[in-house]
Amino acid sequence: MSEPPADPPVGIPVDSDAAGDDGVAIRVARSGGIAGMTRRWSVQPSGGEAAHWIVLVEQCPWDEKLPRGTGADRYSWRIEVRIRRERHEQVIPEEHLRGPWRALVDAVQEADAGTAAL
Amino acid sequence: MTIHEGRGGPQKQAQQARIHQGIVPSYLLAKLAESERYTRAAEAARQTLIAPAPAEHRAQLSLSIDENGSLVATVEAAPNRTISDAHGTETLPGTVVRTEDEPTVADVAVNQAFDGLGATFQMLLDAFQRNSIDGRGLPLDATVHYGSGYDNAFWNGERMVFGDGDGQVFQGFTASTTVIGHELGHGVVQHTAGLDYEGQPGALNESLADVFGALTEQHLLGQTADQATWLIGAGIFTPAVHGKALRSMLHPGTAYHDPELGKDPQPADMSGYVKTTDDNGGVHLNSGIPNRAFALFAVELGGYAWETAGSVWYRALTGGLSASATFAQFAKATIAEADAVSPSTGDAARTAWASVGVIKATGDERAAG
Repeated sequence: MSEPPADPPVGIPVDSDAAGDDGVAIRVARSGGIAGMTRRWSVQPSGGEAAHWIVLVEQCPWDEKLPRGTGADRYSWRIEVRIRRERHEQVIPEEHLRGPWRALVDAVQEADAGTAAL
Repeated sequence: MTIHEGRGGPQKQAQQARIHQGIVPSYLLAKLAESERYTRAAEAARQTLIAPAPAEHRAQLSLSIDENGSLVATVEAAPNRTISDAHGTETLPGTVVRTEDEPTVADVAVNQAFDGLGATFQMLLDAFQRNSIDGRGLPLDATVHYGSGYDNAFWNGERMVFGDGDGQVFQGFTASTTVIGHELGHGVVQHTAGLDYEGQPGALNESLADVFGALTEQHLLGQTADQATWLIGAGIFTPAVHGKALRSMLHPGTAYHDPELGKDPQPADMSGYVKTTDDNGGVHLNSGIPNRAFALFAVELGGYAWETAGSVWYRALTGGLSASATFAQFAKATIAEADAVSPSTGDAARTAWASVGVIKATGDERAAG
């Protein structure tokens, strides 16, 4: 057996170059599902838009320990955020994407049509 | 009168003789219980009459006339299906729209789910003498029209759930027998080895669900291994998508190639094994490797894949497999089961696993994993 290749690009890097004028970048990836296809959405708000997004981000319990997902073929959501020098990341099983998490994801999806790139 | 306790060999007959609730009338059971000629049927009938009858177990009674003009009664396990409708919400289970004894309804998705559950139940029974996903007649519950434009079907640990698709890429998930069989297959895995849904055991979990899905379609259509498409989810994409299915078990990585979706990313062997933290460690990607091993094995054996090839995989799954099994450990289990069938069957299994790089061509099944 040959050695498996190096990791392909996974997750969503949130670096300062990608952030908006106020240093805000939010990226969402949805993986899994029976199709196993990953879709990605992102926003990089600038100017007066940033405050609205910061509120959405700060409403999320980033230190929350989420239980593992149950069953099979459910989606897994990865949310990565950079606000200036502050960074957050959370992986959320579909059945736990509720409340402020759902509000944040819905807002990002509404602002960005997304891509299906793997 | 001739009593046949179902089709199949002695093991199946013995199992089916224990399945008795519901449809067989008590007067017939009482008559059978007194029979001196049909001793096995008589014992089954006596047990039926004295045992409490779990409500979820069902049986079907078939009557026919054999070549000697005798009345033949066949008692066989039967599914107990309930389809619910979420009406575009994400609330489960939704409202019940069709149960086992009710006729078809106007909603195509409901009937497709109902029929797909029945096809899977029958394949499990005919191929593996398994009465539903838990082996004990567990009711089969499904929900259709889940979510708004929901691009997925899943198993939540208790029921199958089907979205309608967004209409642009996916056009509903109940149209594919392989998808329905796949979701029920997750139920079988949960009630047997309980493979972890992460990394290699997770990819095995996904692969076994694909195996059950493919076998369900092939059994329904009466296809031999060389006649089968080995596609999972054919008909799920809209015509706008450049693709024929979600996955190809025989040729992983070739199911679709679309400007928007990209190319099917499944690896066909261990040289393409994907390391990722997404999708629970790429469980839907790396499943292509054991998928191809099974398809190669089945095609090499020929005939109906649910017979020898399917039985070998099923016995490996149900024969004490660890929940954290690696590809190599599962390969070893299947090879042992194949060797028990015949030396040539064992060789075919070794060749299949070697072809996807899980064991060395020399037959050392400990080589990878």
